[in-house]
Amino acid sequence: MEIKVKKKLSENILEKISIDFLRNQVLKNAYGNDDTVIAKLDPRILLVWYLFVGLVPWFVNDLWFLMACFLLVLVTTKLARVAGLVLLLFAVGVFTQTGYLLIVSLFFGGNASTVMPLLILTLKVATCSLASITVFSGLDPDRLSNGLMWFGCPERLSFSISYAYRVLPMLMEEFQNILLSYRMRGNPPEHETFTGKVKYLFYQVKVIIHAFYPLMLNTAKRSRTTVEALEIKGYRYAAVNKAVKKMKLSTLKVTYNDLLFLAVSFLWIALSILASVIF
Amino acid sequence: MELAKKQTATQSQKLMVFVLTMALYGLATLFTELIPKFQVGVVEFSVEFFLFIPLTLSMLFDPLSAALGAATGELVFSEIMLGQFGGLGELEKFLTVTIGVYIAGRMVKNPKNYKMVGIAAITGTGLQLLMGTIVDIMKVQFAVEDFEAVAGLPESVFATEGFAFLNDLLFSGILFCLLPTLFLVPKLYGKIEPLLGMRPRDEKTGLGGINIKVIIAAVIGFAVAAGAELLASNGTPLIEWEASWAESKTALAIGMVAAAVIAVIALMVLKFRTGKEKAQY
Repeated sequence: MEIKVKKKLSENILEKISIDFLRNQVLKNAYGNDDTVIAKLDPRILLVWYLFVGLVPWFVNDLWFLMACFLLVLVTTKLARVAGLVLLLFAVGVFTQTGYLLIVSLFFGGNASTVMPLLILTLKVATCSLASITVFSGLDPDRLSNGLMWFGCPERLSFSISYAYRVLPMLMEEFQNILLSYRMRGNPPEHETFTGKVKYLFYQVKVIIHAFYPLMLNTAKRSRTTVEALEIKGYRYAAVNKAVKKMKLSTLKVTYNDLLFLAVSFLWIALSILASVIF
Repeated sequence: MELAKKQTATQSQKLMVFVLTMALYGLATLFTELIPKFQVGVVEFSVEFFLFIPLTLSMLFDPLSAALGAATGELVFSEIMLGQFGGLGELEKFLTVTIGVYIAGRMVKNPKNYKMVGIAAITGTGLQLLMGTIVDIMKVQFAVEDFEAVAGLPESVFATEGFAFLNDLLFSGILFCLLPTLFLVPKLYGKIEPLLGMRPRDEKTGLGGINIKVIIAAVIGFAVAAGAELLASNGTPLIEWEASWAESKTALAIGMVAAAVIAVIALMVLKFRTGKEKAQY
């Protein structure tokens, strides 16, 4: 049992090191689907929609309503063509938030009465996460940050989003290069036996931590360049200037498609309320 | 002149620290988010691997910028980019990370003092984990109706959350926060500051230790965090509101459906009309 667990642990760490896979998935998630129905919607409309679907389920305990919300976000997630890894993370996340509670409470002498409240809790959690997956992975980063800015979010946040999407591929590549160079120069311990495997695991973790030393120095240099470039363009003044903001947001436009999306969602929710009233 | 010397960083240097911490911690949390969580039985070993990054940077640079950068980085890279954004609940994580990292950064006056660096690192981590645990327990207590009535639930929540806290603090706190910070702070000290055009922090340029103001701000921050998280989970106010229009529920529901149908049809018609007009030109 213990060996199996350790093996699983070291496999997990090894899996993480295949950064290429992660990078592909993340980039696919960020840039790979800007031709979907969801991505073409206006970010402001989507954010309003998200505010409803992401918040209201927390306050309602009606099973019909929750099921309807869940199905709605399920459909939108399908429409947004979200990357597989993100969906897997979602499933794991929902389980770790509520699924394990069910097992533990059964262990402590719970019974069928435990299941209902936990089912409702699970539905709530699942609905909110799927809604956020739809909005935040379905949308282009620039459109998303523009939408947030329109609602008066701090400029710092929309800057962070745009910057993050642009710098991430570079950072990942650099981190991978550093890790590879450490591996080339390093002498990993034998990992045939059990103790060897444990040692190998610790070695891997140590390499990852050491790799952050050069990465920190490089990123420090890079962030200085970034900020100086921003300063040359007068970033800190532009960030609080109303005229600049207006220019930036002039591309946003609400079309009939957006309103139709809202109306269909509303119809679906209204139907669910009707169903819950009748039955 | 004295005042100018006292100030540790200019505005743009603060922005640099913010960007630096955001990029690094964001990258790191992205990895932790992507690793499938490792579980033994029912207790998950969710390792907060990389808190050492903002801890280290907050001890070397302006703590507030580093703390805000770390929290923003986590929010943007691992929540928004992966679509894991949990709405209002994310405010809790944002604030707890900020408070933990900021307090750790303020505690260190001289990064050469090993003992203080170690104490600060473990205090910051412990604070962040403890606040998260308290909020988690409260969250389940409020989200599940009749918390006490559900057989076996209270004990199970306290047991798992308590165990998770201890496990996180002793396992990942020491292994992944304390030791790397102790390794990185002296190594980076004096090397990374010139890259941002600053002088290394010492007794004179430090911001000074923890005072009452910092503690009060932290407590308020935690109250806001807990409040946001509870508001995100607590059902009571809106359920009562729901009951007030319960008498004519059916009529209201039918009205809503009718309104929605009319809206959909009207929009469809409008859309097709504009489509045709465009096609004519």
